[in-house]
Amino acid sequence: MNTEKNKVTDDILESLNGIKRASAPDFFYTRLKARMEKGMGAGNSSPYLLRPAYAFITIVVVLLLNAAILFKNNSSNDIESTEKETLQSIAAEYNLNDNISIYDLTQDN
Amino acid sequence: MNEKELIQGLQKGDESAFKYLVETYQHMVYNTALGIVQNATDAEDVAQEVFIQVYRSIHSFKGESKLSTWLYRIATTRSLDLLRSKKSKKRFGFMQRLFGDGTEPVFEIPDFNHPGVALENKEKAALLFKAISQLPDNQKKAFTLHKLEDLSYHEISEVLQTTTPAVESLMHRAKQNLRKILEKQVK
Repeated sequence: MNTEKNKVTDDILESLNGIKRASAPDFFYTRLKARMEKGMGAGNSSPYLLRPAYAFITIVVVLLLNAAILFKNNSSNDIESTEKETLQSIAAEYNLNDNISIYDLTQDN
Repeated sequence: MNEKELIQGLQKGDESAFKYLVETYQHMVYNTALGIVQNATDAEDVAQEVFIQVYRSIHSFKGESKLSTWLYRIATTRSLDLLRSKKSKKRFGFMQRLFGDGTEPVFEIPDFNHPGVALENKEKAALLFKAISQLPDNQKKAFTLHKLEDLSYHEISEVLQTTTPAVESLMHRAKQNLRKILEKQVK
């Protein structure tokens, strides 16, 4: 079975033996000249950045950058409010919130 | 016109030299492109681009290799570029079909029949070309140049700008890979 399969594969691999060269289509030079005169150069296609795939990638990158900046802003706001809370709790513990003057502290009750 | 005179004529922008170049090498360039892109229209397109590139960049040709070597190099590179660009369009087409309304065309590569293959070998050759299309780029280039243009390993090494042993290795791996692919197809 394997020998048969190998023979089939060998036959396929040898199927291009003796292949003749394909001829270029008729009037190839005429069409080439016409293309050159029209100014359609080699690889003439739309600029890279205008291709849909690249436009899509650019949009995704911009959105990700926006999201990153928003996230960073929210994080820094969270940090600020956490710090504020901490300071307020310390102030409350030491009664620093009230407007206490030195004279109040020295007054006898 | 010998090669030196031809190159001088091309560098002077002589149209008769360019016509001579095209008429001398058109079949060689077309056949090389056809073997890789496996489509007659695309092969003609690639062949035109090869000659346009030669026309534009003949001044940078230093004459260190033969003109035919340079033409083979441009032809194989341009052919692979076209295949890559078709592949990426196919990927984008898949995305379009996902988000589209289902009316977008589906690009499938049909079976390729090379016009130079004998009638009794056409079916087997079509299978082989399908397998060749799945080879890595360098193996594809080496195998196509050897089988379709009958280039020796030494000549192929000049086109690929590598060594003859490296081409031997490429051909060995190409045949191994082709066997694996064909064995799956021939189950």
